[in-house]
Amino acid sequence: MSRFGTSNRVPAARRGGWRDLRRLLLYTVKRLLALFVTVVVGVYLTIVIANMGGQVDDLRRVQIRSEAAEVVRADPAFQDLSSQERNEMIQRQVALEVERLRLDEPFLVRSVDYLQRALRLDLGRAEQMHSDLGSRAVRDIIVERLPATLLLFGTANLLIFFVSVFVALWLSRRYGSALDRSVVALAPTSAAPAWFYGIFLILLFAFVAPLLPAGGMVAVPPPEGRWAYALSMVRHLLLPVSAMLLSQIFISIYSWRTFFLIHSSEDYVEMARAKGLPSRLIERRYILRPTLAPIVTSFLLMLIGLWSGAIILEQVFNWPGLGSLLFQAIGHRDTPVIIGGVVIFAYLLAATVFLLDILYAVLDPRVRLAGGRQ
Amino acid sequence: MRRLLLASAALLLLGVVVVALRPPDSLSSTTGEQGQVVDESALAERRGALVDRVVFTGEDEPGRVTGLIETGAQQVFTQGISSPAVFRRLRDSLVIDYDLSYGTSSELTLNPAGPELADGSLNPFHVPAIREALNRLVDRDYIAQELYGGLAEPRFLPLSTAFPDYARLADVARELELRYAHDPQAASEVIHREMEALGAQFRDGQWRYAGEPVRLTVLIRTEDERRLVGDYVANLLEGLGFTVERRYRTAEEASRIWIATDPQAGEWHLYTGSWITIEIQRDQAEAFSFYYTPRGRAEPLWQAYDSAPAFDELADRLLRRDYRSWEERQSMMARALELAMQDSSRIWLVDQLNASARASNVEVAVDLAGGLSGSALWPYTLRYSGRVGGQMVFGTPGLLTEPWNPVAGSNWIFDRMIMRATQDPVALPDPFTGLYRPQRIVEAEVTVQEDVTVERTLDWLSVATKERIEVPEAAWIDWDGEAGWFVSVGEKYDEPVTARTKVRIRYDDALFEQRWHDGSRLSLADFVVPWALSFERADEASPLYDVAHLPTFEAFQRHFRGWHIVSRNPLVIEVYSDQIFPDAETLVARRAPTPQPWHALALGIFAERNGELAFSSNKADRLRVDWMSLVAGPSVPILARYLERARERGAHPYPGVLDELLDEEEIAARYRALADWHDQRGHFWIGNGPFLLDSVHPVEGSLVLERFDDFPDLADKWLGFSRPAIPELELGGPLVVEAVSGETAAGRAASFELAVTLAGEPYPLESIEGVQFLLFDGRGTLVERGEAEPHANGRWRIELPRPALASLGIGANSLEVAVTSRRVALPAFASHVFATVPPGGMEAAP
Repeated sequence: MSRFGTSNRVPAARRGGWRDLRRLLLYTVKRLLALFVTVVVGVYLTIVIANMGGQVDDLRRVQIRSEAAEVVRADPAFQDLSSQERNEMIQRQVALEVERLRLDEPFLVRSVDYLQRALRLDLGRAEQMHSDLGSRAVRDIIVERLPATLLLFGTANLLIFFVSVFVALWLSRRYGSALDRSVVALAPTSAAPAWFYGIFLILLFAFVAPLLPAGGMVAVPPPEGRWAYALSMVRHLLLPVSAMLLSQIFISIYSWRTFFLIHSSEDYVEMARAKGLPSRLIERRYILRPTLAPIVTSFLLMLIGLWSGAIILEQVFNWPGLGSLLFQAIGHRDTPVIIGGVVIFAYLLAATVFLLDILYAVLDPRVRLAGGRQ
Repeated sequence: MRRLLLASAALLLLGVVVVALRPPDSLSSTTGEQGQVVDESALAERRGALVDRVVFTGEDEPGRVTGLIETGAQQVFTQGISSPAVFRRLRDSLVIDYDLSYGTSSELTLNPAGPELADGSLNPFHVPAIREALNRLVDRDYIAQELYGGLAEPRFLPLSTAFPDYARLADVARELELRYAHDPQAASEVIHREMEALGAQFRDGQWRYAGEPVRLTVLIRTEDERRLVGDYVANLLEGLGFTVERRYRTAEEASRIWIATDPQAGEWHLYTGSWITIEIQRDQAEAFSFYYTPRGRAEPLWQAYDSAPAFDELADRLLRRDYRSWEERQSMMARALELAMQDSSRIWLVDQLNASARASNVEVAVDLAGGLSGSALWPYTLRYSGRVGGQMVFGTPGLLTEPWNPVAGSNWIFDRMIMRATQDPVALPDPFTGLYRPQRIVEAEVTVQEDVTVERTLDWLSVATKERIEVPEAAWIDWDGEAGWFVSVGEKYDEPVTARTKVRIRYDDALFEQRWHDGSRLSLADFVVPWALSFERADEASPLYDVAHLPTFEAFQRHFRGWHIVSRNPLVIEVYSDQIFPDAETLVARRAPTPQPWHALALGIFAERNGELAFSSNKADRLRVDWMSLVAGPSVPILARYLERARERGAHPYPGVLDELLDEEEIAARYRALADWHDQRGHFWIGNGPFLLDSVHPVEGSLVLERFDDFPDLADKWLGFSRPAIPELELGGPLVVEAVSGETAAGRAASFELAVTLAGEPYPLESIEGVQFLLFDGRGTLVERGEAEPHANGRWRIELPRPALASLGIGANSLEVAVTSRRVALPAFASHVFATVPPGGMEAAP
């Protein structure tokens, strides 16, 4: 009986395992497909919007013609040409530029070409812009700005994230204390963006009491020694990081504190307290563990959020990051650079969402595939 | 554990505080390094640049400039400031000074189509008289002082008020400016008369045409003060009874409307336009064709211009420089100005001023048109007042915006400004007159055909005329790409070749003693390689062929008639051409060959021939390779590889031409020097200017220029051009003059005194080009014009003859004086109001 029973149980478990694996694979494929379609739609929308549905072509043609006309007019070498010769020369310059930018092709054809190349992560060449080092490859342009963005926003966001989570946890145990009330009172200060605080910080610490640099990533010219260079970067980081901290820290602490407070009043937490468990154990096991999924989600989204930088903050602090790059690209209407920035972000976002789906299942036993045991 | 955490946090905080309180590195590296105080004799001993180091850093926010200069983080800002708010802060600061430049002008572009547009509506601006009346309707003083916050000068004419043509025609200009002075009542009367003639009715304070209100669309640019100007003009038009629609648009959006649409479609009636010039234009004769006739541009707006036949013909002749003498040109210009005002397809409003900000202890030559970024003399004149040496930090909005190469590299104005410091042109333009002065030229002879009008102002060159200028058979005129050799005139043509101009340039005797920044000496090959390269880039069979180079090259080839090396040492070159410039100085500067380091060019030539890099952006995109940069980025290792190969093989780019000019020793020495330079500084950008490019930090957004120790010239050579010598005038004379009757008029009756000074000292007589006066009666009619006479140091006298006084009648009159200087293109004006009273009236007066 036991043998039969055993032999019956094993195939059933195997069948269950295969079924689970099949479901998992099916889910993975469906999820990946859905995410890919989302990426395609998002990127194509970006292409269409960045080109105003093709209307940018007209703007560019006028701009190219005006620029060529002004170049010819301003150059004394062309001054003795007849107006007809000048116009012919302008026309030739315009034709060269139109050909270079492929404006002679319909926008629809170009947009599909942009899309398929973007999806293959073939970022191609910028139309107007260059990397600071002089390369026209979109990849080089983006990669060059990435370290500066990661440094500033990585430092600031990690600091904000961990400080706010731990302070919030600490405050949730001191609900109604003077500090707790102060944080609640200061939370509305986050209505002002980081660049707003940045302007005041620059005014105070760079101009009124010139202790720190007003902008840039490193001293001018950059120090030669590695340590001196690093120290200079730290000095240049202080004001923008402080601006971001001031702008986000209170609302972030407030949000997490409220979140933890809600979870602290769950029945199972009350039960644990009633059982006389130590408060640290309660925090770790009964509050942090169940709230890990939203914390991880928030953390990962914060990490990929670094990709976009912050346009105005970077402008205010003259920081050579991705935000100001995107701003320049929009100004130049440099579609490949805009698409390059967006498609990488889209892929990162899709990958993060997918990773979170998996992580949720790992972190929270209650999360299971539909159709499985609840 | 908790204590450990707290201790770590405290340590971190302490570290941050220490870092914050450490002396700021950007400041410590600049303040305190302002060089040493020197007397004039010590100054005269120094060679090359007056400061030791200039650091450029990216700074694109003019609003922060005041703070950065006040704290000593920066000393100079390269971009001109046009914001009135920022300008006020500059003006109020005790430690900041500024220089003004004039490159931008603002105007109202009018739609000339009509009188009925495509939708049947009325366009009043089709009528020249209405357009002309707008000149009197707008108050240019108000625009300059209130809307532009004092950062503008009123402008009435198509000539910039800061350029030489305006100064040369100062009396004519003054007369027209008074004729079209602000008089809204007169403007309103003309507009009423003309509108009624068009069939419009004025009812209930509103103009109507075919039963509908006359609607005007004002296209207003939003990026600058033109937003205020647009609103101001729109208000004026509404005040006259028009229904005005204001369309606020950015440059890009507006250009689609005013440039790209047919004026007849009536998408706009009035546009707040603006034009930028980055260098002093000494000849603005083409302005009439450009701004008022279909010859200007091919766009629909220009094709809609229908100027009066007499004006059109005159504009065309001025464009073609069809005049026999300078006097004829001036007379044509004067008439064209008058006709331009009658046409008024554009209403000129102001010449906008840009302020170049600098610390008050810094001196530098700033170009009257291009500001600091357009100044050719900035590297030669930059210094701390009364000091030599030290370091300065320049904030600049654009740094390494595009790749740098000497053939078709970055053309951005702020990049070009830095490049200029590393180069030493053979002639340099005066920042205040635009006239070229010699830098590496000892003398030049200009010969022109007898029918060509060319003016000489300075004495470093001579001008002669000749009936026929024949090009020597040995002169080079073309390039044989297959043979790799220049084609001579004798080889190309069977018949003798003639040219309209010949320029013979004799360079410095010590020219070939001069060194490039890498330590190698200049040689004749540095003059020849750029020429060969220019021809080869236009040769379809060459791997250097560049379609983007063709338009420029073809324009050059149209007038180029030959190039002849008369003597190798001292270097004397003759250039034959059909291209004319009204100034002989400009003609020489444009024709004179300028050296470029052949060994640095060679690396680029090798790289482009092998399809790895391209000199021009267009070709780089076609080949999908990198646009060549000698300064940074992926190009540098490629060029380094070609340098290594060239060193090994002793190769140079033009064996046919250069074999004769180069020996193995020079080739080896050049490449050795360049390799050492690259090892030391990591780039290939070398020149022979007063500064060398020491280091480049593209991602950090900074670069460093160091003083070039081997620069041959004395440091004070160009110091006289640090400040514009604008004459300061004080006109005095009687307030009341007794009128005389015309019949008895004889002799002189009234005398006025003009003091012309510069910083309190008399203005040198030899620097004054002319002092002209205009006498207007009470109705604004010009009664007399003439020239003042010098009678003492810096003092001029104006004697008004009795017949002129007699024709004034009784009442208030004004005497206007225009002073033009040889040292600055800006004319100075002064006026004096006096009254004429009946004979004997002066005794009767209390």
